[in-house]
Amino acid sequence: MIPVLIGVSIIIFLIFQAAPGDALTGMMDPKMSYETKQKIRKQLHLDEPAIVQYKYWVQNVIRGDFGESFYFKQPVGRVMNTYIWNSFYLSLASFILSVLIAIPIGVISATRQYSFIDYFFTVFALIGISMPSFFFGLLLIKWFAVDINLFPVSGMMTPGSTAVGFEKFKDVLYHMVLPLTVLTLGSVAGLMRYTRSSMLEVIRQDYIRTARAKGLREKVVIYKHALRNALIPVVTIFGMWLPGLFSGAMITEAIFNWPGIGPIELLAVNNRDYPLLMGINMLLAFLTLLGNLIADVTYAIVDPRIRLK
Amino acid sequence: MNKKLASFAAGLLAVMMLFTSCGKGGKTTDTSKKDVAEVVKASNPSKMPDVSKNRKDTLIVGTTAPSGKFNPIYSDSVYDSWVVSLVFDGLISNDEQGNPTPLIAKEWKISEDGKTYTFTLNKGVKFSDGKEVTAEDVAFTFTAICDPSYDGPRTDAVSSLVGYEEYNQDKEGKVKEVSGIKVIDKYTISFTLKEPKAPAIYDFGYGIMPKHIYNFEKGNIKALKDKFLSPVGAGPYLFKEYKAGQEIVFEKNPNYWRGEPKIAKIIMKVTNANTVIQELTTGSVDVDRIPSKPEQIELVKKAEFLDIYSYPSNSYGYIGWNLRDEKFKDKKVRQALAYGLNRAGFIQAYYKGLGDVCNAPVSKVSWAYTDELNKYEYNPELANKLLDEAGWVKKEDGYRYKDGKKFTIHWMTYTGSKYVEALTPILIENWKQIGVEVIPELMEFSTLAQKVYDEQKFEMYNMAWSLSIDPDPSGIFSIEQDKLGGFNSVGWRNEESERLIKEGLKETDMEKRKQIYHQWVKLANEELPYLFLSYAKDTYAVSSKVKGLRLSPFTDWTYDIHKVELVDVK
Repeated sequence: MIPVLIGVSIIIFLIFQAAPGDALTGMMDPKMSYETKQKIRKQLHLDEPAIVQYKYWVQNVIRGDFGESFYFKQPVGRVMNTYIWNSFYLSLASFILSVLIAIPIGVISATRQYSFIDYFFTVFALIGISMPSFFFGLLLIKWFAVDINLFPVSGMMTPGSTAVGFEKFKDVLYHMVLPLTVLTLGSVAGLMRYTRSSMLEVIRQDYIRTARAKGLREKVVIYKHALRNALIPVVTIFGMWLPGLFSGAMITEAIFNWPGIGPIELLAVNNRDYPLLMGINMLLAFLTLLGNLIADVTYAIVDPRIRLK
Repeated sequence: MNKKLASFAAGLLAVMMLFTSCGKGGKTTDTSKKDVAEVVKASNPSKMPDVSKNRKDTLIVGTTAPSGKFNPIYSDSVYDSWVVSLVFDGLISNDEQGNPTPLIAKEWKISEDGKTYTFTLNKGVKFSDGKEVTAEDVAFTFTAICDPSYDGPRTDAVSSLVGYEEYNQDKEGKVKEVSGIKVIDKYTISFTLKEPKAPAIYDFGYGIMPKHIYNFEKGNIKALKDKFLSPVGAGPYLFKEYKAGQEIVFEKNPNYWRGEPKIAKIIMKVTNANTVIQELTTGSVDVDRIPSKPEQIELVKKAEFLDIYSYPSNSYGYIGWNLRDEKFKDKKVRQALAYGLNRAGFIQAYYKGLGDVCNAPVSKVSWAYTDELNKYEYNPELANKLLDEAGWVKKEDGYRYKDGKKFTIHWMTYTGSKYVEALTPILIENWKQIGVEVIPELMEFSTLAQKVYDEQKFEMYNMAWSLSIDPDPSGIFSIEQDKLGGFNSVGWRNEESERLIKEGLKETDMEKRKQIYHQWVKLANEELPYLFLSYAKDTYAVSSKVKGLRLSPFTDWTYDIHKVELVDVK
């Protein structure tokens, strides 16, 4: 894992360095002289070759220091900690909701293949996958926040609210409804199709016919024998979702002013804030590897066939 | 789609300047002064949603998420500086035309040679923790910017002080103070510059930090940065809470030295351009900037309870042409291209009445502006005539040639901007009429900035400048800035301009300085180092329950905020 992370860090660092301009290029302030800019570049080591800058970065990381964000002038860890959990809450809620909705629908679609209900959900899935979150978000705001005034337009909490504990939880949940709907619609569609096809494959297997033949009730056949096997490939994609829980949803978060990490990433790219970009991307790289590991382990747990003897 | 918008926003941010010395309240004794902002009053305030009606002690202002650098010497976005303006007061402020006005300093004197500024502080001005503001705090604030470890954007405010280098270069801590900053007594402080520098007065608008709270050991400015999120100053509001990316909560400072603020609580709530109209019409925010687009303004008007304030922004859009290029060296060619572009038509099409044609690089509101300018109204015949005179001959293919070379311009511009999308077809078509071929080339904003400023590899580009409060143009047009990385990327080298810029920098007498800039503006208008395009207007929607906001290009909503009040609406 470690060598992979080192490799990833080198590639990411070089890609960012290859982008034209640096943190000070965009600051076009006639009140800030060229000399001042050069001075700051020197302070931030931006005047040195990429490879030397990388060396500084690695030296600091070994000491557990991810550096200071150019834009926020605060330690990278502190900046990420401020925003990443907000993304996590939203993504986690969306993840749980997607699983709860998508798997039953996938199973129903598979067991009643080509029925009205199957077609209905297929159309629904197509809409869900193709609906741009940007558009859908604005539509929801128009309907539910402006026209019938049921939910807030944006934010994560009522402005000025000092609520704590359960009251706070309720307030956040209330603000979460619309962005959650947008995120969930997108992911339900994919997961549902995945479950459906996996289920279809399993239902055609011999052992399912055997189960039916020995007189088991249809419910038991589907939910006990078929579903368990159908979920094996599905479970493994959960592992891949791990980085997604922390990467934030750039567009949805921006539309709803959800204070997540997504818009911050974009800000870091636009401002060429290398320390912050490296911090975020290394965390995601680490989580991706961890997710893969978890997927492998879960696979072994749920599917005895691939366990190492 | 969203990515496009975002990069457009980034482009805008990139050209946003520091209005740091704006927005503090000065003494506005002269009430006869005309308001700079035009106000369209709400047609029916009673339509206000109950949620807003019932919020009687809290003002909610929409903002783009600030970066959290809530410190007078570090804030570098308009939004961070709003926070700073609410919490800190500076030595001076300015009025709506940009003239400096007293604040914590009740008066100041500039020495005969224009180098020494002596400020006398008001007595009894207190920080919100009860300690008095003294000359020591002022000295501390400006010395902090001189610190060797300082990496913020204010260096140019102090780098011309006597003793700056000695203090800044000394890493061992032997030099204890900046010799140009002298505390004379508890209420008097003087600053001495190496050279006279007229715009320097505005550098004294930065908020004063209490030394007993922000003090740090020389070379260790990190200690100050750790206090970004707990700012304390002598301003009208106390900083209560910051939820990053969401909101900032302020409570009034009951002991504010200019009188207790009338609004108990202010919340700056993060909004975005996509949903700002919805936030306003549902009453979630009371004040917010709205896009200066007729469709959006119509939506705000329809809500019936929002006032609309608009004023010319202190910025302009322009086309820069590389004056080192043979084509653009000839003034006649530049003027011809100006006459040959229907700028008024473009601005009408794009802004629909919310923009103006720009003919000089200074805000129309500023004291430095004069209207005695050539307007370069659209006139293709004149443009053709000037091009003929310049030796560019039209051939049968409709394009002009000189010495066997076709008049072709490679125009670099940036992606994701509606402004560019609207300008492109008009520019290509208009100039084709006068025999000039334009080939646009789109790129990301940062890439464009690098090509234009760091490499100076371009024929023509377009961008916008947001100006600071002082009209001194040396940062953009002086010969000194004509170098890689400098802002005079078009390479304008004009002796007369250089002389006027230098004079304007030295002259501390306002009236004389004004005359100098009028001359300079006329020269720039004649010479066209840029093709000046447009002035935009800034537009704010303000709930009709808010009374007393004074918005102008030089004063934002935090200006005299302690006098602003919320009235009951039936």
